[in-house]
Amino acid sequence: MWGMTSDIAVHAEDLTKFYGQRRGIEGLTLDVRTGEVMGFLGPNGAGKTTTIRLLLDFLRPTRGRATVLGLDPRRDKAILHRQIGYLPGELAFPGREKAADLLRFFGDARGGVAWSQVTDLAERLDLDLSRPVRTMSKGNKQKVGLVQAFMHQPALLILDEPTSGLDPLMQQEFLAMVRDARDAGQTVFMSSHVLAEVQQVADRVAIVRDGRLAAVERVESLGRRAVRSIEIHFDDPVDPVEFSVLPGVSDVVVSGPVLKCTVDGRLDPLIKAAARHEVVDMLSTEPDLEETFLSFYYHSEGAGDASRAGA
Amino acid sequence: MLPALVRKTWRDDRRALIGWAVGVALFTVIYTSFYSQFQGAAELKQEALPKGMLDFLGIADMLSPAGYLQATIFSLVGPLLVLMCAVTLTARTIARPEEDGAMELLLTNPLSRTAFAGQRLVATGSAVTAVAAIPWILLMVIVPGAGMDIPLSNVAAACAGLVALVWCFTGIAFLTGAATGKRGTVLAVTGVLAVATYMANAIGGMLDGWHWLRWLSPFHYFIGTDPLHTGWHPAELLTLVLVGTATTVAGAIMFERRDVGV
Repeated sequence: MWGMTSDIAVHAEDLTKFYGQRRGIEGLTLDVRTGEVMGFLGPNGAGKTTTIRLLLDFLRPTRGRATVLGLDPRRDKAILHRQIGYLPGELAFPGREKAADLLRFFGDARGGVAWSQVTDLAERLDLDLSRPVRTMSKGNKQKVGLVQAFMHQPALLILDEPTSGLDPLMQQEFLAMVRDARDAGQTVFMSSHVLAEVQQVADRVAIVRDGRLAAVERVESLGRRAVRSIEIHFDDPVDPVEFSVLPGVSDVVVSGPVLKCTVDGRLDPLIKAAARHEVVDMLSTEPDLEETFLSFYYHSEGAGDASRAGA
Repeated sequence: MLPALVRKTWRDDRRALIGWAVGVALFTVIYTSFYSQFQGAAELKQEALPKGMLDFLGIADMLSPAGYLQATIFSLVGPLLVLMCAVTLTARTIARPEEDGAMELLLTNPLSRTAFAGQRLVATGSAVTAVAAIPWILLMVIVPGAGMDIPLSNVAAACAGLVALVWCFTGIAFLTGAATGKRGTVLAVTGVLAVATYMANAIGGMLDGWHWLRWLSPFHYFIGTDPLHTGWHPAELLTLVLVGTATTVAGAIMFERRDVGV
């Protein structure tokens, strides 16, 4: 049976959750292999958190089923949760004690965790354990959440939007922690709505949108699709045609002296063209998934609602 | 060593528990310790209030020691205090963390849902029982000390009734919270039930033809047997305990079956 094979850490089969009429996730069939880092990508409201809560048995599926570490999330909850490290997407901590006391509780509840394990993680994340969690900033709360997820070195880490609230330096440290976890043989399933952070660390990504799995890809094949949004402010109004003919440039919108477009691939043609005018300002952003990445997958699958539904 | 979750629950409820314990203790001590001084005032109250009103408030007479104790501790304010303590703390077992989002991390405890609910309730139930037993402990000292002429066994029976009443409503509050996960619903359901059944007991005692109403009220099983005069009534106390047990079991089953934190 697939459920028993140890090379599959998470197996979902037609996993479906409806909240009344509203769809959380529908027909999700997905395998996360043991020892891999899988990114779980999608815009907010796509069904990522619903899926995670189904895997943890906080929610019960409307249809379909999931097997986690070869176990049934409901029947085997007690055994299973000892082997899972979970970081909730919306963090709220019980009680008003110091971070150290809260983490001691989590350690005791999971059958005892070496305290050095906790202090090492806290040091790595530059977290002061002597402060009450309630008084901490969002970023520091997120660090406490990460420490409690990693502290017992679980076989499976399920992380819901793990980098939210972390500054860039700490995001890098977190990604290093994920790499270390993989090197230690742990499996990581992490959700995100930011492609870039997942790209840096994941082996594969699963992409969900509107409650459905859109694609599962190896990360290398995503790299080619380095799409970005560019906004250029000129001194004088420009002609859109001049830019829309350039290779890799699309979605050109010009309003007076402001040009907006997306560029797939090298920026060079656009820059050369822009340089013929007086440039006041230029903004380059990696667009969120909602804008480009997912719509690409929907186009490629021929789905009709590729346009931004309800954004 | 007690389970980590039980200790954690106690630690999180510590402030509220100390507050309620102090409140209940002060209430008991203040009302009973000055029994002799209150006698004059009690006489006035007795005369000022019409008989119907006294019956409604569950006050038969305020002049005898038993009547005085009944009127001050066991008729209205005493049960009200311990029930409020029980209901608000029981609302914290499941409903409050579920509403404020802390439930997810609590549920990562490697425990089955049933074991989780059980440990939460064991922690809160024992704490609430301790608060409800404070009058019992104090009255065992105060009643003889203040020279109130009531058999201690009868006082113990009434105090045991108070604990049983608290168990009954703790079970109801737990069931409501475990089934709905909503703190407001817990407070509303148990609050309305407490008021309605209190009135059912009072009205059932006053109006001819409505006596049957009392059988529906936990307050009847608690104090309707007049334990301060008549002593222990195991069947009535057991009824309260059974209601508490049945609602607790029902709550654990419903919590096991539903989605959490939706």
